[in-house]
Amino acid sequence: MISQYIIDALQQLLIPINFITLLISVFFGLLVGMLPGLTATMAIALLTGLTYRIAPDTAILSLVGVYVGSISGGCQSAILLNIPGTPASAATATDGFKIAKRGEGGLGIFLATTSSFLGTVISIFCIILLTPLLTKFALKFGSYEFFLLALFGVVICGNLTSGDDSLKGWISGILGLFIAQIGLDGLNSYPRFSFNNIELMGGITLIPVMIGLFGFPEVINAFMKEEKQILNITKFKMTEGFKIIKKNIVTVIRSGLIGVMVGIIPGVGEDIGGWLSYWAAKTNSKAKETFGQGNYEGVIAAEAGNNACVGGAIIPILSLAVPGSAPAAVLLAAFWLHGLRPGPLMMKETPYFLYQLCIFLTAGAFMMWILSQIISKFTVRVLQINKQILMPVIFVLCTVGAFVINNRIFDVYLMFIFGIVGLFLAKLNYPAAPFLLGVILGPMADTNLRRALVLSKGSLKPFFTRPISIFFIVLIMVLILSQLNFVKGLKKELVKGAK
Amino acid sequence: MKRVIILGLCLILVLGLAVGCSQKPTASVEPEKKSDKEEAKAEVDWPTKDIKIIVPWNPGGGTDLTTRTIADEMSKALDATIMVVNTPGASGSIGTQEVLNSPHDGYTIAANGMMPFVSYSVMGYLKNTYRDWHVWLATFSPNVIAVNKDSQYKDMKTLVDAFKNGEVSVGTAGPGTGGHIGIEVVRSSLDFDYNHVPYGGGNPAIVAALSGEVDVTPQLSMEMIDMLRSGDLKGLAALTEGPLQISEEIAIPSLADVIPEAAKAVPMGESFGIAVPKDTPKEVVDKIDEAFKKAIESEAVKKFAEEKGVVVLGYSGDKAQKFLDKLASVVCWTLYDAGNAKISPEKFDIPRAE
Repeated sequence: MISQYIIDALQQLLIPINFITLLISVFFGLLVGMLPGLTATMAIALLTGLTYRIAPDTAILSLVGVYVGSISGGCQSAILLNIPGTPASAATATDGFKIAKRGEGGLGIFLATTSSFLGTVISIFCIILLTPLLTKFALKFGSYEFFLLALFGVVICGNLTSGDDSLKGWISGILGLFIAQIGLDGLNSYPRFSFNNIELMGGITLIPVMIGLFGFPEVINAFMKEEKQILNITKFKMTEGFKIIKKNIVTVIRSGLIGVMVGIIPGVGEDIGGWLSYWAAKTNSKAKETFGQGNYEGVIAAEAGNNACVGGAIIPILSLAVPGSAPAAVLLAAFWLHGLRPGPLMMKETPYFLYQLCIFLTAGAFMMWILSQIISKFTVRVLQINKQILMPVIFVLCTVGAFVINNRIFDVYLMFIFGIVGLFLAKLNYPAAPFLLGVILGPMADTNLRRALVLSKGSLKPFFTRPISIFFIVLIMVLILSQLNFVKGLKKELVKGAK
Repeated sequence: MKRVIILGLCLILVLGLAVGCSQKPTASVEPEKKSDKEEAKAEVDWPTKDIKIIVPWNPGGGTDLTTRTIADEMSKALDATIMVVNTPGASGSIGTQEVLNSPHDGYTIAANGMMPFVSYSVMGYLKNTYRDWHVWLATFSPNVIAVNKDSQYKDMKTLVDAFKNGEVSVGTAGPGTGGHIGIEVVRSSLDFDYNHVPYGGGNPAIVAALSGEVDVTPQLSMEMIDMLRSGDLKGLAALTEGPLQISEEIAIPSLADVIPEAAKAVPMGESFGIAVPKDTPKEVVDKIDEAFKKAIESEAVKKFAEEKGVVVLGYSGDKAQKFLDKLASVVCWTLYDAGNAKISPEKFDIPRAE
């Protein structure tokens, strides 16, 4: 039976109209991913309405293609410009941009897209083999765990991006968490820090903050530096790239699995998947100090991690009809629109859909890889363009990107304000990434902490009686304590003693 | 050479953006261009061009799915193309306003869930009320009081006893949403307290009931129909007048039958329908009415209702208005009492429900 379903799905792929649809939609997805301001969620939502009259198979194929494409496309602008195209690729920028600065932009993109592809494939295996098991795991995450996971995300991001002084990373993260509290609160719609301003009441939108924090400083920097250095692009051989991937295959698999786990937890998406795998890669690496300096493994981990979330986020859709991330939520709506009913009855009523979706995802990932290699041949040349010519163009795109999210000019002002904030952060050596993650995870931390306290009637006890919750508390404590001078000193003593 | 590359790149990027930007506006341009001739023609011959139904929510939601099913059938009955356009924003009021701004000629029709629709006036989103519309009600999705399959509450009686002890936590999509209003109505008729745990939407609230984080969820039948069918969730009572048959084996008893004291709480839930402004020409309204009735009786709508666990209403005219009167009293006052609505329902002559 299963082989029959798979063959059917493959046959559908070979229908010319379907094949062309996949090609176009993955390409569209990659473009959307590359442009800061246009997100995967937006692209899928846009397409959902457009595909209503199209045959369900073709429509689903195009939606899956856009999803995979847009999550992967973000890495190109992150690596080449240090401006993540989607929030998901912020972790990629940490090492990716340094790699590009060395003139190895092509290799960086090759590594990123190949590990994206592998991450997606790993997640597809998890969909086929582990859907029931992983669903049970996802249900173990309650409000207590969500709060701690959000906190953990900000803490590790602060730790990872700040070099030697984690405190700066955490300060930046807490500022981000604060920004996220502006506007109507998520539980009772009570306006906070809005000063009766109707725009502030709507909250601070994520995308303008991201574009401001990452894009603006790059634009300004291009005009501040004295030396006009134009990078040479070192050509690379694909075999060389494959060798690096082969060397880091453990990282790919580990990141893939972490990505899947993050993906299935409802409400947590691609952005945190990238950071967690990056953290895991750095912790397990022998050369920790090279992370952040253009380490290939950093890019590989981040990209495999964020793309594995794609499959991960689809798992709870299939088993519970509950999306694991924001783009997946739109995808679920699209499934409904086409009369498909994923959920607890799916394996009984329409078992072929699972295999069809997996084949489509694989095809999408494959197409993404091929198209990315072709596109990157052109995009790497961005590095050769004089920054003072390129950056004004990028600046226009940033402004438009901030505007199109809600079509409101207030978001453009926000972009400028956070651009100036980002500039100061960069000058004072505070990393911007924890700030961004704070804004992303702020609402999750806030509503879940308060919901947890509503559930426990104000008691903190459940935080210390639930296993996953204890696990996170211990991890967070270890991370924070390890940065104290006292502990650092103790560690040195111990090492000395051991010698 | 480099210049060409730069230009080419920018072009690609800008084109991509243009695609992104141009989607929403295109939908709203069409109906404005109308000549007087067409207006006159409408009285005898309607429709002579494409009809647009504005769904003020994202595709795939309850309003969208219902509307698309109805629209397909209505377009057959009218022998005209009906486009369904999604214009989400500000709780659906932006799309509704767009219908008011378009000519009132029946070529632009509003679709909505009736809970938000009747609350726009008290929420301060729109100046007019539901009384300024001709409304057709298609389907009704009742609130279902559901628990986890392993829950200690095996029937509604034990649950009500636990409610009276004040020990039960209830997960909803948030204050003022369908689930919250549903449980509030039950609460006010039985007089108990509960621990209200708001989630960011219906889905997370249902998952919370599934994982046992909350004891009960009172969301809509439509939102958890498959969970109820597979037995992962158990529906203790539906806020319907009769039992709610969701599959051949499973029927959820009516709250009025299991707890007679709570009889006045039913029916409660979300209903979906379409509407045109009141001053639309009568001939056009009659034609829409005819097409709507044909659509309601169609196989497609029946199948949709069966699949989604909703009840087909098919109300129009005074019957629909009466239905909305009752709904508005409950919804508007619940929102006002909870502090969500800033304007008193009294201002719009919406009396408190008895």
